[in-house]
This record gives sequence, structure tokens and C-alpha cells, in this order.
Amino acid sequence: MSMLSSVQVALGGPMPDMGLVEVARRRAVVRDSARRSIRRRRMTGHAMQVICLIAVPIGLAPLVALLIATVAKGAGAVSIDFLTHAPTPSGVPGGGISTAIVGSGEIVAYAIALAVPLGLFIALFLFERPGGVASAIRFSADVLSGVPSIIVGIFAYAVFVERFHHVSNVAAGFALGVLMLPIMVRANEEAMRTVSIDLWEAGVSLGARRSRVARSVVLRGALPGVVTGNLLAVARAVGETAPLLFTVVSPAFAMTLLIFNDATEPFPDAQQTAWGTALVLLALVLILSVTARTVAWTLNRKTR
Amino acid sequence: MKRHGEVTNPASNHSSDPRARVENRSGQLARESKLPADRLDPRTHGTGVTLDNVSITFGAHLAVRNVTLQMPARQVTALVGPSGCGKTSVLRAINRLHDHTGGAVRGTVRLGNLDVYGPDVQPEVLRSRIGMVFQRPNPFPTMSIFDNVISGLRFNGVRKKRLLREMGVAALHNAALWDIVKDRLDQPAVRLSGGQQQRLCIARALAIEPEVLLMDEPCSALDPVATAKIEDLIRHLSSEVTIALVTHNMFQAARVSDTVAVFLLGDDRIGELVEVGPTDGVFDTPSDARTKAYVTGHVG
Amino acid sequence: MIDPIASSPPSPVAGPPEPGEGGDGPAGLRPWRKPRRLPSGPLYAILRWGAAGFFAVLMIGLVVSIVSQSSQAFTHSGISFLWSGTWNPDAGDYAGGTLVVGTVLTTLVAMVLVVPVGLGISVSLSELTPRWLAGPLSTSIEFLAAVPSVVVGLWALLILSPVFATDVEPVLEGLPVLSWVFHGPAYGPSVLLASVVLAIMILPTVVALSRTALGGVPLSDREAAMALGATHWQVVRHTVLPGARSGIVAAVTLAVGRALGESIAVALVIGNRPAIPHSLLAPGATLGSAIVNEFAEASPGLGTSSVIALAAVLLLLTILVNVVGQLLIRVRNGRRLLGVRGAVV
Repeated sequence: MSMLSSVQVALGGPMPDMGLVEVARRRAVVRDSARRSIRRRRMTGHAMQVICLIAVPIGLAPLVALLIATVAKGAGAVSIDFLTHAPTPSGVPGGGISTAIVGSGEIVAYAIALAVPLGLFIALFLFERPGGVASAIRFSADVLSGVPSIIVGIFAYAVFVERFHHVSNVAAGFALGVLMLPIMVRANEEAMRTVSIDLWEAGVSLGARRSRVARSVVLRGALPGVVTGNLLAVARAVGETAPLLFTVVSPAFAMTLLIFNDATEPFPDAQQTAWGTALVLLALVLILSVTARTVAWTLNRKTR
Repeated sequence: MKRHGEVTNPASNHSSDPRARVENRSGQLARESKLPADRLDPRTHGTGVTLDNVSITFGAHLAVRNVTLQMPARQVTALVGPSGCGKTSVLRAINRLHDHTGGAVRGTVRLGNLDVYGPDVQPEVLRSRIGMVFQRPNPFPTMSIFDNVISGLRFNGVRKKRLLREMGVAALHNAALWDIVKDRLDQPAVRLSGGQQQRLCIARALAIEPEVLLMDEPCSALDPVATAKIEDLIRHLSSEVTIALVTHNMFQAARVSDTVAVFLLGDDRIGELVEVGPTDGVFDTPSDARTKAYVTGHVG
Repeated sequence: MIDPIASSPPSPVAGPPEPGEGGDGPAGLRPWRKPRRLPSGPLYAILRWGAAGFFAVLMIGLVVSIVSQSSQAFTHSGISFLWSGTWNPDAGDYAGGTLVVGTVLTTLVAMVLVVPVGLGISVSLSELTPRWLAGPLSTSIEFLAAVPSVVVGLWALLILSPVFATDVEPVLEGLPVLSWVFHGPAYGPSVLLASVVLAIMILPTVVALSRTALGGVPLSDREAAMALGATHWQVVRHTVLPGARSGIVAAVTLAVGRALGESIAVALVIGNRPAIPHSLLAPGATLGSAIVNEFAEASPGLGTSSVIALAAVLLLLTILVNVVGQLLIRVRNGRRLLGVRGAVV
């Protein structure tokens, strides 16, 4: 690759002012190329943009279809009776899902009791004692959050059901708690990080007991993020089915199991119940998610 | 002007008068590249930048107002002043980068005779005539050194490999980087040192053979040795390109520029152009009291 | 399995935490001074260490219990359980090979569907739509992630499956070129349907993580390309997309991990036929769907152990994929911090 231009070579060697003329020639080449190619470049760009934009309705369509179907089919089933009456034997009309609602509530309560305090203290540990151990825990929490819920269900089965030989809501709550834990730990730690370090050290320098300092300063500042993160984790856990398969007595006692069961039954009655329960579940998840984000928003505005 | 089938005759170029030789060669090149000969002679040709009553607004905030400034062709014009006076905004108005930052530009900006914000102007084609070097070196991290240099050519549709190679090599020479990178052209660009990366960015800008080169505090992230090399480069390049250099370093402006434009914050915190003129004049005998205060360090 | 992206809180300072972000010292994305190691009250320290210890016990316990419960099956069939044989409990055949094939197949088809759409959406949201529109749109996509898998499965079984049976599958059967992939008989539940359901469920993961990757490309790279005369699309194609490449790969990897483990929705629509499907329109089975369907009726002892062995295989697969994905994310973050540009001064 010689520096000499082809013209120079043709003319037998470099000439004094060649550089400036070369510049002009190259300038012309670029300008011409830019002008001639702009239309093609723009059109290609627009075509690709259209292709990308088409993906958006394609991606949203299933969600919209699902929501519409659930509302349309579920609305017919849901009523005050539906929510407050216990189920009737299959084939018998009437009855509701009250047992399932209560059962799900109980399970989630156990899960919260396990995961919330644990999540807080683990996050505090990660926050205050950074190091190799903390990195290992953080990494494994991230990997744990990718473990399929069905495997966590089997774990709960092994721990509780095998040993005690009966299924229970505690076992189910344990499984859901384990599922929620990594998310809560992540969210809590992130929330604590946004609390200014100066605040922490300032609190300490005032001579308060260390644990009291940590609790009041860090937690108060991190409260919005912690509440939001935990609420969102609960919203996700509420919708889990697989762990409950191995740990809950009967589908009548958990909403998600009920849907799963009734979906495969040939009776239109059962399917109707399934839609209704699905609608209730969806509404619950929606309320939890929206509450979580609203909490974050309002508490953020207050502390700013 | 262009005659088909004319055979180039090297013999006719061996006259003793250098100017005649150049003019003959211009004619030859003209026939080869199909352009009028006088357009090819850059000694009479060069593109300056003219700003006429330019004001730039971001949303409701007026950043800089009523800038009227001429940047002469093939000279270095320095825009100096403390931060926040709008120097960078003015620079970016020239190659219409404000189309994407949400800045509204009022007034007229001309590249040579062309109204940059005119209705028929396509920004991409406009930008192929203007090169830009940014404050922190920003070579494309996923490209090799040589691919970085020719990236601008590729963006503009130049495809012939021979041409790309030729122009890439020339640009690396012009940026005084060839000897350093000639053995590792396909290595990732990010492995160069800061100063070398900045020269790579200059080479990248030069490869499209711009008429104007905009430089936004190009040395502010570099050490003194690298800075000196780039200042050298700037002086050297100005024989071919018009250079607009934003710098907050007055000494750099004094070392490198032919014309200097001083920007300061007005009383209402809006940037404005306070004085413009030949570098020696402005620094030795400033006309405006504010300039004097700035130059002697009382302000800014 | 819970998706860490959709459930992370909108933090006040930056966006939701990505997996892999945070951390001590220079490896974290927001470098902060280490708080001085102050001695804390004893109760407080016990609680923290206890929590961390309990967490470690949980993790280890999970793996141990799965492995030990499945040991009976592995001793019975040998390690070849992992890749050979058929699953036919009634005939006493316990081997996971066909199920692994089914799992890989459904995940593969799901990725083929989700990656183009997901990339298209994230490019659209990050580059092609105005800000006021991108926000609500991406919130809607994230809401898809919040829908419980059993509800998606219900909808897919009762509404999507009939539509597939009557409209989609006959059309695909009739395609001249791809008949070796799509051929009947098809009556609803199928590998293809399961793959579509999987694709729907992992789309939000792909979109969210890809958007983060795209947004992480520094503005100055884009501006450099623009200043050279590139059109908007040229900037995206030659600067933004290559710059986000490693993040997108990480996103896809994590999405694969999620797809592997989804069992409920798949179980509802795949038809539960544990044999290697001869076409995408035939029913099939995956590890997850088999566990769901077989666990209740498995005969105690070898039967249950075999089902749990399937879970062990699934766990192994998922952990592998997730570890790779998490490492990819951490490498990307690390490079971005050290300065992909190398030393700057």
C-alpha cells in the first residue's frame, strides 16, 4: 500500500503541489458518493425502521388478546357469590372459590414471613460487608433467580413432605418464599445503595449505637425501594403454580392450582371457573404491581 | 472541458514552471475525475464558515445569543471562553448536530455560500463536508483501527476497496499516526493510548476530506505531550482545512489560532460573543473591556 | 421461576437493577467509598451473618436434596439416563433422553421466534419511538411478564390451541417447502404451540435486557457516526447494535434459561407425548412438562425418584445457562467500567 496516488505513479513520481490537488480530487469523490448514495441510504433506513416497528404490535398482540379473553370470559363467572362461596363438587353448579382465595392468601403469608425479613438482613449483609463472600452470595442469588419454580417446588417437597408425610401450606409458603428471596435481596440492596453514604457516616458519628444507626438511617432512606421491590416480588409469587403442585392438598385451596386443574377438565362449568379465577388472579397481580409502583413514586417524591 | 478519449501525455508536463505543471496536472485530473479544473485548485479555493446573528435555545433556555462571526477559509479560528458560554453549542450548530439534541438554532449559518439550515440541504450530505473531533476520544469500540478511519467513507457510500485503502492511508499520514499503527491496522482501536486515540479520531474525520474541521476541546482529556502533538497537527492541517477550535485554554488559542473569538457570559447568564479578531490583536490589545478582564485572568 | 427484570423496582436514581450490577468497589456500576468497617451490636451481626448463612444453606440444600432424591433413579439406569432412552413409566422405562430433546427443541423454536421480534421491539423502543411513547409501551410489555404462567397456559389451551388447529396448522401443513418440519396429523396441542407460548412468555425478558444494552451505548459514539454523515439507521446499525452486542447475547442467554424451565404453560399445550416429535405440529414433551404431568402419578420409590431425576437434569441445564448469562453480563459491565476504550489518559 503505497502513499503515492495512482495518478502520481502514472506521472512518474511526486510533484510539489500534488498534495493539494489530490485533496481536491478526493474531496470530490466523497461529495459525489455522499450525494449519490443518500437516497438509497435513507430508503434502506426507512425500510428497516418499518420492519422493527412492525415487531411492536406483533409483540403486544398476544398480551392484548389474552387480556381481552380473560376479561370477556371471566367477567361472566365472577360475582360476589363467586368470591365468597366455597366450591361445590364437580358437576354441581354454583359455588365459588373462596377456599382458594383464602388458601392462596395463607400460602403467600407464610412466604412473606419467610422471605421479607431474610431478604432484608441478607441485603444488609451485602451492603455493609462487601467482599468475596458478598460477591459469591450475590452471584448465587442471581443464579437462583433463574432456577425453575418447579424445581423449587420439588425442593420444598423433599424438605417438608417427604419428611412429614403430609402436604401443607407451610411447605408451599416455603417454596414461594425461596422463589421470592433472590428478587427481594437484589431490590433491597439496590435500594440501600441509593442512600447516601454520607448520611450513614453522619449518623454514626453522632454516637448512636451501630445497629440503631443502620436501622434508622439506611432503612428509612431505602424504604421506598424496599417496599416496591418486595411488593413486586409478592406479585410474581402470587402467580406461581408449579411449586404448589407438590405441596398443596387440593386445587380447591390455591387459586393458581385451581386454574391449572380446571383448565384441563372437559366440563364447561369447570372452564368457566377457571376463567373467573384467572380474572381474579390477574386483577390481584395488577393491583399489587400498580401499588408497588405508586408507592415508589409517592415515597420518592416525599423524600426528594 | 472534458474530452473523451484524450490520451494523457506525461511528456507535456515536464515544463520548468511549477505552476504550469500543476495546472497541467489539474487538467489531467479534471479529465479523470470529471470536474472543472479551477475547482480542483485549492490554493484559490477553500471554505469558510459564517455565522450571522445566531442564537441557540434549548427548550425555554437561551444558551447563546446574537453570534456574528466569520471563520476565514483555511485558517484556525479559536473559540475561547469559560465553560457554559455556548462555544460548543455554536460549534455544533455548524454541522447541525442540534437536530438531534433538541436545540433550536436561529440566525444564519453558512458553509461557504451554502445556508446550512436551508430547506434543500440534507444534513447527512452536509456533514460529509464537515469533520468533527470531540472532547473525549471516541473511536468506535467494536471496530479495528483501520475500519475506524474509513468508517466515514463507508457511511457515505464509498465502496471501492482501492479507494478506501488509499484514502485511509492518506488520512493516517495526515494525522501523523501512520508510523505508529501501520503494523497493527486490524487491531481494536481501543488499545491505543488516549492521545493516539484522539489522533485516530482526527484521521477518521480527515478521511472524508472535509472542508471544515470542528474541534471541541480536543486536548482537554489528554496529557501535555499528546496535547503538543495535536496542536502541531492542527497547525499543519490548517493549510488544507478550515479549522474551528473550541478551547478554554487561552494559551492554546494563542499558540495555534489565526483568529480568536471570545465568548463570555452576559449579565443575564446568557452566552455571547464579546470580541473577535486576529489572535495577536485580541490578546495583546483587546478592544473590549470584558475581553481584557478575561485575558488577564480577572474573569472566567 | 421469577423473572428478575420485570419485578425489579423503579429505583429513584437509575433504572431497575440489572442482574450482575451492584457490587463492591470497582466492579460495581456506581463506585462508592467503602463504609468504614465499624463494629456493630452483637445481635445485629448475628442476624446478618445468620441470614447469609441460612441463604447459603438454602442454596446448597436445594442442590443436595434434588440430587439425593434422584440418586435412586440414576443408580438404576446409570448416567445414560441423561441422554438416552424413552420415558414410559407404564412399561418401566425411565430415561430422560427424549425429554431433553423435546426441551431443547421447544426452546430453540421459541428463540427463533422471540429474538427477531424482541430485537425489533427493543430497537423500536430505544431508537425509533419518541420518549413519551416508549415509556408506556415498554411498561405494557413488562406487564406481560407479570401475567401468571398458568393464565397464559389457560388462554393458550382454550383459545389459541383451537385457532391453531383450525387455521394455523393446516396452512403450515400445506407449505410446499417446509413439509419436513410441518406435517400432520395435527390436532391442537403441539410442539409449535408450546414454542409460541414460550416465546410469548420470555419476550419481556429479551426486550428489557436488550433495551438496557442498547441504551448503554454512549452518546458520543452515536454523535461521532452522525458527524461523519451517517443516516439515523446507519448510526443504529453500525454503532449502537454492535456496541450492544454482548448485552444482547447476555439477554438471549438468560431468556433461554427462563424458557428451559417454564413448565406449567408448556404442560398445558404440548400434548404430553414423551417421544421425539416427528414434526413441529406433533405433540411432544419437555422435562418441565413431564415433571408436571408425571409427578402425581409416579409410583413411589423408583418412579418418584425418576421424576426428580428429570428435575435434576433440568436444574443442571438451567444453572449452566444462567451462569453463562450472568458471567456475560458481568463481563460487559466490567469492560464498560474499565473503559472499553482502554486507558484514556
